[in-house]
Amino acid sequence: MDDLTKDRVEQLIDCIMKKCLWQFHSRTWDRERQNENILRMTTQILCDEAFDAKTLEDKCYWVDAVCLADDYKKKFTWLLGIEKSEIKLIMQEVKNRLDYLTITGSLNEELNDPLY
Amino acid sequence: MPYHLFKCSESIPEREKHSVIKGPGEDITSALPLGYLNTIPGSLSERGCAYCGAKHVIGTPMKDVIHMSHGPIGCTYDTWQTKRYISDNDNFQLKYTFATDMKEQNIVFGAEKMLKKNILEAFKAFPTMKRMTIYQTCASALIGDDIGAIADEIMEEMPDVDIFVCNSPGFGGPSQSGGHHKINIAWMNQKVGTVEPEITSDYVINYVGEYNIQGDQEVMQDFFKRMGIQILSTFTGNGSYDDLRGMHRAQLNVLECARSAEYICNELRVRYGIPRLDIDGFGFEPLSSSLRKVAMFFGIEDRAEAIITEETARWKPELDWYKARLTHKKVCLWPGGSKLWHWANVLHEEMGIDIVSVYTKFGHQQDMEKGISRCEEGALAIDDPNELENMEAMETLEPDIILTGKRPGEVAKKVRVPYLNAHAYHNGPWKGYEGWVRFARDIYNGIYSPIHKLSLLDISKDEIPTDVGFETQRMLSDVNLSDEVKNSTILREYTGEYDCIKGLRDKIYPEYLTKKVSEAV
Ligand code: SF4
Repeated sequence: MDDLTKDRVEQLIDCIMKKCLWQFHSRTWDRERQNENILRMTTQILCDEAFDAKTLEDKCYWVDAVCLADDYKKKFTWLLGIEKSEIKLIMQEVKNRLDYLTITGSLNEELNDPLY
Repeated sequence: MPYHLFKCSESIPEREKHSVIKGPGEDITSALPLGYLNTIPGSLSERGCAYCGAKHVIGTPMKDVIHMSHGPIGCTYDTWQTKRYISDNDNFQLKYTFATDMKEQNIVFGAEKMLKKNILEAFKAFPTMKRMTIYQTCASALIGDDIGAIADEIMEEMPDVDIFVCNSPGFGGPSQSGGHHKINIAWMNQKVGTVEPEITSDYVINYVGEYNIQGDQEVMQDFFKRMGIQILSTFTGNGSYDDLRGMHRAQLNVLECARSAEYICNELRVRYGIPRLDIDGFGFEPLSSSLRKVAMFFGIEDRAEAIITEETARWKPELDWYKARLTHKKVCLWPGGSKLWHWANVLHEEMGIDIVSVYTKFGHQQDMEKGISRCEEGALAIDDPNELENMEAMETLEPDIILTGKRPGEVAKKVRVPYLNAHAYHNGPWKGYEGWVRFARDIYNGIYSPIHKLSLLDISKDEIPTDVGFETQRMLSDVNLSDEVKNSTILREYTGEYDCIKGLRDKIYPEYLTKKVSEAV
């Protein structure tokens, strides 16, 4: 990752860590599905791709994604000036970094408890 | 992020893994305090017990219920004066405390008969109350009283009553958090699904992890009602027992305090497919985004936007008045379990306050992950602190105010550090737009009260200046402000009512027809 991309990824991550709560569900399997679904939908919104949330669960991910995408557009105007393919690349890096911070690199000893 | 061992805890080296300092450029994968572990012997913890977590925190805010403790009277100590979860039925649950008052002879001979007698007496004394919760304590758990069997007997004899039994004795977990967990799961297993609720709106939520401290629930309920959303149940502040039996029919669980109530949301998600949306009712921006999300879930964004615009226009100039006077004040954010992350970032952004330390008495590592992520570099994070560590932290960090509970708060006062009650509030509610301004006002009043300066003088040895007159809060707070801010015609102090909840109780709300009804017309 070049320095510019790294810096941009960190800006987007910082926004999630300071403003959102959805990435901190209590178990690994929860965090995996939250990160996966919300960031996938956020990327789709940022890339103007149509998305139809059918189930209640999808809708719930979707509202978090819409708010995050709005926040991103407001705070990081550089997002508006780059290609969709680049947005996708950056968002993939955001997903990798978030998975590391909240799942694979997390020091939270309760994450793999089989029960709630 | 280096772990931090307090000087005063050098004789308990295990404490080192319970606190960290957030270093520049570091994140939660480099160090995270341990959490939700038994308190280390020798450490004077500020925690409550698992019975306290189950009953005093989660069970008792239910309003139309006789809450009975099966144990010694002392277990109910934390009731009347410490809790402020009000309700719109004249605070029944605050006014009356019930305990079976177990004594030595009950320990020897058993206390089931006495429990039954107490239950009957209580129902007789309050004939309109048909619901009861019973809480096990250490004593009744140790002698093995079968509370469930007694409750079943009574329900058979009195078919119009319903009883919930919570087996969460004080020793049933490292802290009150063990009790939160137990009562969440017990309610889910025993009661959810036993009542079919009446659905009156197309948009139906459970509002979970909200305890109506000084009216917080009623403030949030007002927003939801204005949007035409039906709150099927509130878990548990100002909540009704039978409403909470019908939680399984909601379309969405809106979760406020994840620390105390995420378990029931998770179970509702797994067992009934109801999704969980975590929200923040504190602070203008988090609250606005929360209302927006709930509304968007139902496709009624315009209703949320109308509220956000109206409330922000009304209250923002007042919040900014306080922000101008609170910027760069240093705060130790030392609540119980969830407010460290609810408040850390938003206090900084919306009131300009610097958070120099966060702690949690009973939080889990998950709460520390959230809290540390949300505070700025240099903050000291402590899990399950002891009193001496707090004193040392206050000496080194020199905070302007502490947001914490009553017990550590009173200790802080003795070393002349003002404190606000983070659990029960000072002049709440603190949720909602107006509530957030009331919180700012309380912080302002705490920091700038002239008494703190006066109290630093020791009349037995210090020279008392006689050439200075009295000082007011404004004289202290405005000393370094620019004329532009001081004389602003836009910014203003809080102008709300002394009691901002009363008016909400008789308010008339817009009627939104359900799709079914409007199609039929
Ligand atoms: S620890 Fe046991 S005896 Fe003490 S208050 Fe809690 S339940 Fe009662």
